[in-house]
Amino acid sequence: MTIISNSTSAFYERSSLDIADLRSRAEGLQADLSRGQRISRSSDDPVGASRLRQLQRTDQLSQIDVANAAKATTNLQLTDSALGSFADYVTRIRELTTQAANGTMTDAERNGIGQEIAQIRGNMIQLANSRDAQGGALFGGQSAGAAYTTDAAGNVTYAGTGTSGDLPLGDGQNVTRGLTGPEFLTLPTGSASPDLLTALKTLSDALQAGGAAAQQAAKDGLAALSQGMDQITTAQTVVGTRLAWVDLTTERRTNLTEMRAGEETDVGGTDIASTVARLQETMTVLEASQASFTKLASLSLFSLLN
Amino acid sequence: MASDLLSIGRSGAQAARIALDVTAQNIANASSDGYVRRSVRLAEVSSSGGIGTIGDVSLSGVRLDAVVRNADLFRQAEVRRTGADSMRADAEVAGLENIQAAVEQSNVYNSMVGFESSLQQLVGDPTSTSLRANVVEDARTMVGTFNIAATALQSVGTGLRFEATDGVTQVNTLSGELARVNLRLARAADASSDQTALLDQRDSLLQQLSKFTDVSATINTDSTVEVRIGGSSGPLLVQGGTAGTLGMTTVSDGTITFAVSGFAAAPAPANLTGGSLAGKAQALTKLAAVQTRLDGLADSLAKTVNTAQGNGIDLSGAAGQPMFSGGPPFTAASLGLAMTDGAKIATAASSDVAGSRNPANLNALRTALSASDPVGGMDGLLFDISGTVQGRTVTRDALKTIASGAQVALQAQAGVDLDQEAVNLVRFQQAFQASGKVMQTAKDIFDTLLAIR
Repeated sequence: MTIISNSTSAFYERSSLDIADLRSRAEGLQADLSRGQRISRSSDDPVGASRLRQLQRTDQLSQIDVANAAKATTNLQLTDSALGSFADYVTRIRELTTQAANGTMTDAERNGIGQEIAQIRGNMIQLANSRDAQGGALFGGQSAGAAYTTDAAGNVTYAGTGTSGDLPLGDGQNVTRGLTGPEFLTLPTGSASPDLLTALKTLSDALQAGGAAAQQAAKDGLAALSQGMDQITTAQTVVGTRLAWVDLTTERRTNLTEMRAGEETDVGGTDIASTVARLQETMTVLEASQASFTKLASLSLFSLLN
Repeated sequence: MASDLLSIGRSGAQAARIALDVTAQNIANASSDGYVRRSVRLAEVSSSGGIGTIGDVSLSGVRLDAVVRNADLFRQAEVRRTGADSMRADAEVAGLENIQAAVEQSNVYNSMVGFESSLQQLVGDPTSTSLRANVVEDARTMVGTFNIAATALQSVGTGLRFEATDGVTQVNTLSGELARVNLRLARAADASSDQTALLDQRDSLLQQLSKFTDVSATINTDSTVEVRIGGSSGPLLVQGGTAGTLGMTTVSDGTITFAVSGFAAAPAPANLTGGSLAGKAQALTKLAAVQTRLDGLADSLAKTVNTAQGNGIDLSGAAGQPMFSGGPPFTAASLGLAMTDGAKIATAASSDVAGSRNPANLNALRTALSASDPVGGMDGLLFDISGTVQGRTVTRDALKTIASGAQVALQAQAGVDLDQEAVNLVRFQQAFQASGKVMQTAKDIFDTLLAIR
């Protein structure tokens, strides 16, 4: 009884469904290509989208680590150059003290040397109170004010905190941002003076006072100066190591950033070659089904019956 | 009773005319929605001979027995069932996509990461006023995005409930219409073209009803239909000429329930499992869960930050004040920014002095935040929503394919095939011409008899 087991409306419905499906698939592929991103909404690939979110979060936090590392590097370099100046001053004072220890020196000459040492000490106090890149005390730890205070008699007291504090460099790594004054100015236990600045004051006072004690004070001072120099060079080594550590973590962070960027492209990027191929395939099928639809739709018995 | 050639020819011509009419009707309605192909069933008119006339010839031609509607009840039920499933999935996915857009496009996640990173940046220089201002501004952005997400979710809920209310109205209109069709069907003559039109209307109404809710239809012997919703044991919606009223109730958390009143004293609760109404109810249930989780994240974040603030001192040395207002308990909608001055951020420990660069309390805050991990929670929430959307989309596409398959199967059986109608047109035209020839023959015979002289 039935010629073709297909009603006219069923044929049209099926054809339109197929063609609409192909069309929407082609449009989806085209959108992927023009965006360069495979994922426009999280539901396109929930796992990939979540991974992308985590990568972007890590990336953003890593940029802060870069800023922190730059801050730490600046402060450590400031510390390093200040330490270099300290070392120069101590060398100069050592020359002067060696002259003063000479028995042929007169009291007047020793007095002059003592005054010069007092001047240099003043410069060293200024240097110890220098500021870091953020405006805080470079050698004052985490205190808000100056690192050292000087009283009317010229005695200095450390006013900062015990440590300089750490800066996070990412991945749980930290670096100590600088040195506190006592960390390189304190003399080893057993010395005549507690720290270098006090020792210099004792030395310059004794030289300016003159007399027999002056030559002995100069000899004692040489020992303290040599210990102070040791402390300063040790501190320079520490700072150098910290700078190397910051460089190491920066390099590691750069590698990780590159890796993350690669993964982001892998997870979220469009694979151009395969997408274009699939688009071409879909277009071919679409054109074929459109052509066959027009051919089939024009097949009507009515046009043949006269 | 003898036979009458002329009247036999006349009945044949008449039957062919009716068949041609039905064919023309089929062609005219080839693309009408819900039209089921008709065909005519013809029956012979004859009588057996009575006493004494056995062996007599008593032929009286042909008559129209019935206009047959080529509908398959099973395929129609399949179209309703699969259509209801597909509509449910469609409505659910649409609702879920809106929920996803509300949470994702409000950029809550990004702003939370922004707040997190500005806190981390502050560690580098805790006394910097610009970095402190940055933290406050990022906190403000985050509060804003939480509020936006909450508002967007609320409007998704309002939209879904509005559409569901409209759906309920449509269901009630359709069920009332169905009850009227039932009444007229009970009075229509059997196998008449009037009845077939009513049956078309009945099936079309049932199919429309199945877009909103899952319909369980029982066809009675008088062709009237009894409709239950929410499964075959669900409450009655239409029985004979009576239609119940579907009602919707909104629960305090924004989810909806349905009940039918009119048949029993108390409204009978309907547990819809298909149709767009069920899909909207499911989307609203998910929406309530998402809102609860978002509020939980806002609450955890604000509480952690405010507690940490209380443990430290700010730039001026005063005890830290809460950063967020609107709780406890905080919700995504109520969350507000209490702090406007960056100097009030308590970065230093309570043992420090004013202006201290010690970030101990800030570090404690960051540790507490990474322990409660609201950013990770937000990622989890987004993953949950998007995973649900993706899974449901796959289900929806599968159900759509099944539904269109069932639709095409019904169309193939009940729809009009124009080629076949073309053949019928030729066939019945020939039948009409043949019957005309019969009448011509009858006239010729009559003329022959008259011509005998």
